[in-house]
Amino acid sequence: MNSKKDPALPAKPKNNFSRRGFMRGVGIGSGALGTGLLEKEAAAAPAAAKVVGPGPVPITLEINGKPVHLTVEPRVTLIDALRNHLDITGAKKVCDRATCGACTVIMDGKTVYSCTVLAIDAQGKKIETIESLGTPTKRHPISQAFWDNDAQQCGYCTPGFVMASKGFLEEHPNPTMAEVEHGLGGNICRCGTYMGIRKAVLEAAAAMKKGGKNG
Amino acid sequence: MFEGVEAFYRPTTVREALHLLRKAKGTARIVAGGTGVVPGGDRSVRFLIDITRAGLSYIRKRGGAWTIGATTTMAEIEDSAEMRMLAGGLLASAAAACGSVEIRSMATVGGNMANGSPAADLAPPLLALDAEAAIAGTAARRKMPLADYLAAVCAGKMKNALLVEIVFLEPSAARGGWCFQKFGRTAVDISLVNVAAGLQLDARGRVKWARIALGAVAPLPLRMPAAEALMTGRILDRALLAEAAESVSDTVHPIGDIRASADYRREISRVLTGRALEQCAARAGYSL
Ligand SMILES: Cc1cc2nc3c(=O)[nH]c(=O)nc-3n(C[C@H](O)[C@H](O)[C@H](O)COP(=O)(O)OP(=O)(O)OC[C@H]3O[C@@H](n4cnc5c(N)ncnc54)[C@H](O)[C@@H]3O)c2cc1C
Ligand code: FES
Ligand code: FES
Repeated sequence: MNSKKDPALPAKPKNNFSRRGFMRGVGIGSGALGTGLLEKEAAAAPAAAKVVGPGPVPITLEINGKPVHLTVEPRVTLIDALRNHLDITGAKKVCDRATCGACTVIMDGKTVYSCTVLAIDAQGKKIETIESLGTPTKRHPISQAFWDNDAQQCGYCTPGFVMASKGFLEEHPNPTMAEVEHGLGGNICRCGTYMGIRKAVLEAAAAMKKGGKNG
Repeated sequence: MFEGVEAFYRPTTVREALHLLRKAKGTARIVAGGTGVVPGGDRSVRFLIDITRAGLSYIRKRGGAWTIGATTTMAEIEDSAEMRMLAGGLLASAAAACGSVEIRSMATVGGNMANGSPAADLAPPLLALDAEAAIAGTAARRKMPLADYLAAVCAGKMKNALLVEIVFLEPSAARGGWCFQKFGRTAVDISLVNVAAGLQLDARGRVKWARIALGAVAPLPLRMPAAEALMTGRILDRALLAEAAESVSDTVHPIGDIRASADYRREISRVLTGRALEQCAARAGYSL
């Protein structure tokens, strides 16, 4: 899906506006606009840190404590980078419009919809996905509580709910049922397993306190 | 999504962001939290200008005036100890009502204003606080009443301007109370109606001033000058609250859409205004 080859691209306007012209006009670091010299300057090192694209650009993301390198176009969202470029497929893409929560990951300690974050914007931030939570034999207390409470049916919403729960419990270690309900309001379960999920989160809170484990 | 995007810019100053915006002649789009602009994925956009590294994330007080930088997030406002105190937590509670926690982690106050949505949850509280918007455009930086900025956005006149910060004066706290009320289909849905109200009383229970602003009831979030005027100078009682709420429901001109009919929104405007004013009275330490 190279944008240059995309037939759906709008035709270039008549004034031949291009990225090169755009950069020249910007004249980074100088008041004088539109000289060939400036264009070269703009393409040189300091500007390159700020100006990326067109086409795929190399970026580094910190995912589950490890730096990973990948090459994406500027428009690629974090969910697509995870799933399509890195084969980290725990987070699910469902609505792709910030409504369902299936793509929830934790970024710098805050839960976010990864379908609404540009991958390029996630650079320099600590990204946690469901893959960082325990193993099939040594489950994280939240995963265990979901298991124990039958908190899923088809399971498609589950990775998002578990990460939203983790983010929630970090800020509310002693939640009430009402707080759980409100705090997970950004995640939707089409199978309707909400009661199981809410109970699981309360149980996980208790287990995490007892185990002194906070993630 | 954004099939037409050719380049992504991350300016570190407002000046640079403005240069980029101007040169793009309407083909660039500012990205702050991205919760409005990324799901939209407008195909005609050729350049994205990310302003979250332009030094506009702050909540500051200088003299009696508060300044909130455009890229300050809902989560930052909601969690700010100062914002939880200011005007009885008016802004913090509105920020806390803005979508889900995942939205609030990213969504910014600037995006909330620049999006041009009549339902923007920070608009009524900021209008009630008489906030001003600091704009950087083709000319020098200037300040304008937030209401004028919202009207200009609605009229499509702010495409090449950057909202830099929001400024408002700290309201007097003595015998005063504030309240934000939101009514939506669910706790995380956008508002069917939202209300911000504030009032200050004198020692005898007379209203010194009242401020009422509503969202999602007209093309723009609106102050309610008629209701405010009818309260001023009168003793606060239940009849006066009902009269003010009635005046609000006469003033609004909501649309009917997939979420609610116009009549329903009008009725909710009356009820929510009444509730908000009642809370204001209680918070001012006044029993009705
Ligand atoms: C699921 C969901 C739920 C939502 N719920 C609510 C809700 O309950 N209440 C509510 O009020 N909103 C809600 N929203 C709307 C949106 O999240 C908010 O309006 C948010 O504050 C937008 O901010 P942002 O930083 O994400 O904006 P962006 O998406 O980054 O930008 C939005 C628009 O504003 C422009 N822009 C951004 N910053 C500036 C600036 N400084 N100067 C000039 N232009 C600028 C952008 O170019 C773009 O056109 C919701 C959205 C979603 C997807
Ligand atoms: S896929 Fe991101 S919220 Fe639904
Ligand atoms: S278990 Fe099927 S969507 Fe939640």
